[in-house]
Amino acid sequence: MSDIGKIRIRVPSNAKAGDVVRVRCLVIHPMERVERDAQGKIVDRNYNYITRVTATYLGKPVAVFDLTQSVSENPAFSFALKATTPGPVKVTFVDTHGGKYEGTAELAFA
Amino acid sequence: MAEALTRRSALGRLGAGVAVAVGALRNPAPAGAQGSSPAFGLQESVQDGLKRVFGGRPIKDGAAMIKLDIPPIAENGAVVPVNVEVTAPMTPASYVKSIWIVADKNRIPMVVKATLTPESGQAFVGVNIRLGETTDVRAVVEQSDGTLLMAKREVKVTVGGCGG
Repeated sequence: MSDIGKIRIRVPSNAKAGDVVRVRCLVIHPMERVERDAQGKIVDRNYNYITRVTATYLGKPVAVFDLTQSVSENPAFSFALKATTPGPVKVTFVDTHGGKYEGTAELAFA
Repeated sequence: MAEALTRRSALGRLGAGVAVAVGALRNPAPAGAQGSSPAFGLQESVQDGLKRVFGGRPIKDGAAMIKLDIPPIAENGAVVPVNVEVTAPMTPASYVKSIWIVADKNRIPMVVKATLTPESGQAFVGVNIRLGETTDVRAVVEQSDGTLLMAKREVKVTVGGCGG
């Protein structure tokens, strides 16, 4: 469980200026799903799952994901961005328990 | 010694309580529907969800423009990779504003909303989602001028992965 918030980001290594590149990222997170009791009623508690993922490139947002509990455990996301200059790709995850996880990858040009 | 320990654990619990309270403040959602935004995370039917999010706006068939890449048979409903690609320009004048992924028979049908910017360069998103049972999966695309497009595909699920 201590792995929660561990992030892996993969950017292509052979990008050139002007290319549209695809970035994949993965975060270790339980993404708790709704529990029901024996009567089928929803157990009302604060489920821990990621609600928002923000991806930025050179400080500008390229993709924002709003999630629900219908998203898999250890969710993986992909998105595209237009590579202009080498720079950081940063992905931020926010969950319902106030956790905030960040990961950065450097986009370098071949 | 024992006294110090209890005091410490009591403090720890207090800290955890504060953290939970802060989390609750950040997400002021009604009980049972703790979504990220009011338009999200509700348990509803897919018709209600589409109506709630898009109102009565017409949704055009976008099968020609939207490439929905999902395995036709998902053995494990807990992890179903969905990739959506839209062949549309991504310029500041006209771009794909958001992509919704909708799973018809999930209890929470509106699964993901992805918001894109012209900097994305290409309207492409991929997410791993859960599917409760064999269902249609739709992608609804909203363009910057407000046009809505939709494509859908059936996914057969062998083992459901959605407790909720």
